[in-house]
Amino acid sequence: MTFDFPILTVLIFLPLAGALLLFAFRGSDAVSRQVALSFSIAELILSAWLCLTATPGTLPGAPAGFFIYEDAAWIERFGIRYTVGMDGISLVMVVLTAFISVIAVIVSWNGIKERVPLYFALILALETGIQGVFLGLDLFLFYLFWEMMLIPMFLLIGIWGHGRRIYSAVKFFLYTFAGSLLMLLAIISLYLMHGAQTGSYTFSLTELIQTSVPYGVGLWLYAAFLLAFAIKFPLFPLHTWLPDAHTDAPTAGSVILASLLLKTGAYALIRFGYPLFPAAAAAFTPVLYVTAVFGISYGAWVAFAQEDMKRLVAYSSVSHMGFVALGIAAWSPVALSGAVIQMVNHGVTTGALFAIVGMLDERTHSREIVTYGGIWGKVPMLSFFFLLFCMASAGLPGLNNFVGEFLVLVGTFRVAPMAAIGAFLGIVLTLIYTVRLVQEVLFGKENSPLTLSDLSMREGGVLAVLALAAIYLGVHPGPVLELVKAPIALLTGVR
Amino acid sequence: MTLSDLFLIMPIIITGCGTILVLLCGPLLQTRSNSAIAIAVSTAAGLWAAFSSTAIAPAIPGLAFTPLARLLIPIFCLSAAITLLFSHSYNIRRAILGEEYPATILFALFAMCVLPCATNLLILFLALESIAFAFYILVTIDLGRAQSAEAGLKYLLMGAVAAAITAFGISLIFAGSGTLALNAALAASGNRTIISAGWGLIVIGIAFKLSLVPAHLWTPDVYQGAPAPVAAFLSTSSKVAAAVFLLMLLNFAPPMTEMYTPLYLLSLLSMVIGNLAALLQKNIKRMLAYSSIAHMGYLALALLTGTKEGYAAVLLYGAIYTAMNLAAFGAIAALSGDEERSEIEEYSGVGFSAPFRGGVLALSMLALAGIPPTAGFIGKFFIFYAAIRGGELTLAIIGIVSAAASAYFYLKVVVHLYMHKPQTAAPQAGTPSESLALACAALAVIVIGIFPAPLMQLVDDLLR
Repeated sequence: MTFDFPILTVLIFLPLAGALLLFAFRGSDAVSRQVALSFSIAELILSAWLCLTATPGTLPGAPAGFFIYEDAAWIERFGIRYTVGMDGISLVMVVLTAFISVIAVIVSWNGIKERVPLYFALILALETGIQGVFLGLDLFLFYLFWEMMLIPMFLLIGIWGHGRRIYSAVKFFLYTFAGSLLMLLAIISLYLMHGAQTGSYTFSLTELIQTSVPYGVGLWLYAAFLLAFAIKFPLFPLHTWLPDAHTDAPTAGSVILASLLLKTGAYALIRFGYPLFPAAAAAFTPVLYVTAVFGISYGAWVAFAQEDMKRLVAYSSVSHMGFVALGIAAWSPVALSGAVIQMVNHGVTTGALFAIVGMLDERTHSREIVTYGGIWGKVPMLSFFFLLFCMASAGLPGLNNFVGEFLVLVGTFRVAPMAAIGAFLGIVLTLIYTVRLVQEVLFGKENSPLTLSDLSMREGGVLAVLALAAIYLGVHPGPVLELVKAPIALLTGVR
Repeated sequence: MTLSDLFLIMPIIITGCGTILVLLCGPLLQTRSNSAIAIAVSTAAGLWAAFSSTAIAPAIPGLAFTPLARLLIPIFCLSAAITLLFSHSYNIRRAILGEEYPATILFALFAMCVLPCATNLLILFLALESIAFAFYILVTIDLGRAQSAEAGLKYLLMGAVAAAITAFGISLIFAGSGTLALNAALAASGNRTIISAGWGLIVIGIAFKLSLVPAHLWTPDVYQGAPAPVAAFLSTSSKVAAAVFLLMLLNFAPPMTEMYTPLYLLSLLSMVIGNLAALLQKNIKRMLAYSSIAHMGYLALALLTGTKEGYAAVLLYGAIYTAMNLAAFGAIAALSGDEERSEIEEYSGVGFSAPFRGGVLALSMLALAGIPPTAGFIGKFFIFYAAIRGGELTLAIIGIVSAAASAYFYLKVVVHLYMHKPQTAAPQAGTPSESLALACAALAVIVIGIFPAPLMQLVDDLLR
């Protein structure tokens, strides 16, 4: 597809423009909310329009599979170019990002009362960073966006968070920053190696893929990439920043962290890690299997023990992302499509669960499970959505997570039956903590006399849209699978 | 000497005459006029240098307007102008009202303009020591404070020893090679033992100037005691001048093999100890002092490679570091009231009570930590690229790990700025001159971060 204007650039920088607008003209709180909402909705409309008009295929001059592609010189001395491109996988992630950002803006509507313009400016700036990661095809550009995501999230957690917000914010930052710095060295090494071999010094992904990396060196370079991605992912045992960051972040922060930031790690592993170092990635596959399977069970196990609902959902993320890692490790078309669709599913369900916990927190100022109990009769709407998303999260057939987990398990079983069996056992554990959550919060006996109000129009609307997405993806995942089919065929064909 | 030769060295003449002008007319004029004259002089000199063409041929014996000078003089002049801009209000608050302050800054600038033009070992040395001489005065300019005097004395004693060592080193090189002309002195193959002994002494002297570990002990005390604007100028231009001094002595050729091990150890120790010690600091200026030690370690890492890329990285990093540190110290100066906010804790909540100045301080911290899209990231990228390309992978890994640790103490400032409740009274309103100075520095940090290509082009042209 060709456009008269650089549509991807607009897609990446439109939220940043909104952020700068909010930053420069600190308007009243109400105006800031509306500006943020308008920009995020404009972004969603733009990405939805791309989704509807997208014609799979390859744009002439673009790398295989990319149907929108923009390329401009940036820092020519180093062969650094501003290269962004969109294939099916990017498209899915871009739409998810735009969608979740709108949700994040709406769930913060009343909850955020202090420094509102700055808050929404940071949410929008964060969106730019995430879209950039999903679209960048030049390793330098990718790294730039990768790091740009850190500051807004750090400030969101640190300024508007709860509990040990500063500790969590700094921990989040240092973990991810330290992981990525070694990747920077690996990127530079790869760049120099490619330059020495071909004489063309470039950070372009499509060219760097063709570097012939000696096996031993490749292992080290891949390890540096994997470390950076595994921290974002997060893979056991590098997940320890996640429960703190998720728990202490404001609601929208948790939603964005879980639904989008974790996906950047998985996406980058698919887009950069495997294609750049196929041999090393194959060598590391057993490690990925073990951490994935262990992460699924471990996350579920620890989630079961949590008293704080937000922490519980956070650990469930570790468990769910284990499935994504498993699908990537298997690297077969079926498993990989499962992994991609699981990324979307996890974004929708976990985002929704964090939103609901945030709504409960706004009402009662407590996230402890013991505070609740028996709220089913009091707030039927909220309880209904709570139940729905818990079931989705547990992988009930007909809802979205089932599709992803099923595809991952089927795909993995072919290549690594033991890993698939291990992961299957993890699903059982998932069921246990979900049932406990539902039983103790929604049903059971009332632990404290809470006066709860049911969902407002705004909250109900947000959850209804998320629920529709969950059901749609659950019963009709075909279109998404169709979108990612071509790029996944190209990716797995490489190996 | 012809008229065109005079035109070429005009920045030196402008700053030299400016110094004398301010000293002579200063007592008759108000502080405001003195500052304005000094700012005008440094801006004029910088603009002249930026827009004049270069001729390598010596203009007058010992001096030539080289491409190096064309790059560095504008940088020095700009940083002097920015320093003067934000020190004006700072000095009024501190009652540092004499004309000696702008005059001394201009004198330091004059020496800085001479330095990259030197073609002769003696002039090079004189320029370097004149810069130091000006700073001995500047560090103690706030006579009312004992801390300032202590810092000045420490700096003077250590500096004098370092100057003597450097001078001895230069004289040994002269003895070994038999000439004082820069390019000839190093090309000449004289007595290798004597020359390498000379280089060893010079490395020690430069290690002091750049405050590389283990010659770094003066730095935290001097930064802490000196007024913030002076610390800004000291930590940027004088460091860049010292690094350039070494580059010019090397004549942009790789260092002798004997110098490798000392430089390696200096770089390693500075990166590791600088960053680790900064982790423990509670005083923001001491923290920035240790941070500058670590940054000079990065610089030494690029120097060590002895490649064109390494030297390009040194020059680029020098320019970027100047912008970042001017922003950091400038914000500290602008946020100070009757007393400076010295402890990091005193910056709690300042990000909201003084959004612009707090924002610039936060930006400079993120830039120093090397986070994109600031200039600090580009600088760090270039340094580590040059290091890996030059084969220094181990040192690069150690450096990047220490840089990861350094993020903690830079973030600590940001955390206090935005995430803690205010503990002290909100800062007074900023003055227009401070805002202008901070805006210039912050703009440089962002613009170089996003469009570094023009600056890289300048550096490359010079090294070609």
